[in-house]
Amino acid sequence: MTAPHEGPQEAPIVPPEPGTIADLFREALPDIEFVASQGPVDVMLTIDRKDVLQVLRTAKDDPQLDLKYLRCLLGVDHEEAGLEVVYQLYSFTHGHGVTLKTRLPQDDPRVASAASVWKGADWLERETAEMFGIVFEGHPNPVPLLLPDDMTDHHPLRKDNPLAQVEEWQGSRLGAAAANVGHVPAGYESIAGEGGEPEGPSGESGG
Amino acid sequence: MVTEQERKLETIDINVNVGPQHPATHGVFRMVLTVSGERVVDVVPHIGYMHRGAEKLSENVDYRQGLIYQDRTEYLAQFNAEMCYCMAVERLAGLEPPERAQYIRIILSELNRITSHYMFIGAFATDTGVYGTAFTYAFREREYIQEIFDALTGDRMMYGYFRPGGVVWDVPADFKERVRWVCGQTRVGIDDIDRLLTTNEIFITRCRDIGVISRPDAIDYGLSGPMLRACGLPFDLRRNDPYSIYDRFEFDIPTGTHGDVYDRYLVRMEEMRQSVRIVEQALEQMPDGPIMPEKAPRRLRLPPGEVYMRTENPRGEYGIYLVSKGGEKPYRLKIRSACLSNLTALKQMIVGHYVADAVVILGSVDIVLGEVDR
Repeated sequence: MTAPHEGPQEAPIVPPEPGTIADLFREALPDIEFVASQGPVDVMLTIDRKDVLQVLRTAKDDPQLDLKYLRCLLGVDHEEAGLEVVYQLYSFTHGHGVTLKTRLPQDDPRVASAASVWKGADWLERETAEMFGIVFEGHPNPVPLLLPDDMTDHHPLRKDNPLAQVEEWQGSRLGAAAANVGHVPAGYESIAGEGGEPEGPSGESGG
Repeated sequence: MVTEQERKLETIDINVNVGPQHPATHGVFRMVLTVSGERVVDVVPHIGYMHRGAEKLSENVDYRQGLIYQDRTEYLAQFNAEMCYCMAVERLAGLEPPERAQYIRIILSELNRITSHYMFIGAFATDTGVYGTAFTYAFREREYIQEIFDALTGDRMMYGYFRPGGVVWDVPADFKERVRWVCGQTRVGIDDIDRLLTTNEIFITRCRDIGVISRPDAIDYGLSGPMLRACGLPFDLRRNDPYSIYDRFEFDIPTGTHGDVYDRYLVRMEEMRQSVRIVEQALEQMPDGPIMPEKAPRRLRLPPGEVYMRTENPRGEYGIYLVSKGGEKPYRLKIRSACLSNLTALKQMIVGHYVADAVVILGSVDIVLGEVDR
């Protein structure tokens, strides 16, 4: 299998112009460190995960920011650089928006739940939790949303969970089953006749 | 009057399972209603029956191939979803579609909004008990537009017509003429349905003051589209966060006053008329010219970067959060589903109403399970 992305590169950090929403955040929360960058559409702010809840609360309640609308909440798996949780916020009154991001280490992916700030965060966090194995601490109902309830050990959108090539999947998973095609259970030989001889395992053809 | 004897009777709440295979759930949606008599006291929605991993699949194909998953995700407003995806890729790639392609995209997206709302009206009227008539009216009208899509793309459902940078081929010679005719026809069709439903007393009684959600709650739940506008907030991404060339057209943003099921219906009806207005203006302004940029690369390689692109789809804000780390494939592609966020408010809307109203309320959300589950 070839690597899905040859040489992943990080986007360069271009600081936003003065006077953007990044300054409003720094004004409202002078003690918190923001790493600001200008994306193609929105300003992106990276914060430490311990500050997440405080920043989100302030973002919603501060009259200068007034980011009442949680548009989107998602996870990104940056492999060794950790997992990322992204909050996309918008203000109806000021018409501005921002992307807030926080990084979590791979071996301890915990972050405070935003469900107490926005009711709409509930399902979005449940989806992110099941897809990436991120634990949202304080979530009122941390059960899977889209995946089966017992599928708690498998996080499909993580990068260590590759979507195998179809041939590869057939080769490894169906290989054993495919070898059983034509297999006749003991005691049924007379019914199956001569055509029922099992074929040898076809390890590499696969499909 | 409740008699003394009846009062002494012991009652229990029972669970009623609705779906996933149920005619009123608009797809494979399942909800467990806890009812006390005829009143719903709790509702637990279950989704994910149609989860096909569109986000994961998109990470494993290149940018041109990934487009088709948009059709399969939002299968009632395919052009709108394709547009969002293409714009996200274009933003990172630095591509600018030519004028003619922009106009073709707008015309198709707005026509798609009309077909999607026709679908809503047909199904929703059936939910409220107007069985058959409204559905066939809506589908007759929808078919006129569907035929244009069919002639243009060769498919009735999975169009795959947009491309990052433009559209795949030019529209046929009679396109303008046909769209102009369909605009006139749609006005007639909307008026037909209007006369059938909007002032129908039974329909109003089924819809008025049902499933009310207040404006602060709607914002808190992250509702968007007609659900949010029915609460009286005139928020439309085409106006408030203009993308493509929407700033060139005149149109109104209909809003409701009560935030109930009836307002959601009215907002959608009016939106269809506004879409016709936009299509007519776009037809007038549409220039000749190329449909793809001259230097569009055959193999699209995006520089590293992240973008959240959003469009106003028939059901609300549809978003694509695209993370690129260089190369031909997305590193991560998140689909922000309008229906999923709209559904989060389902419990708040249903609890306290009758079981029969639960179906109407669910219908008013206008869910597409392909988009909810992705």
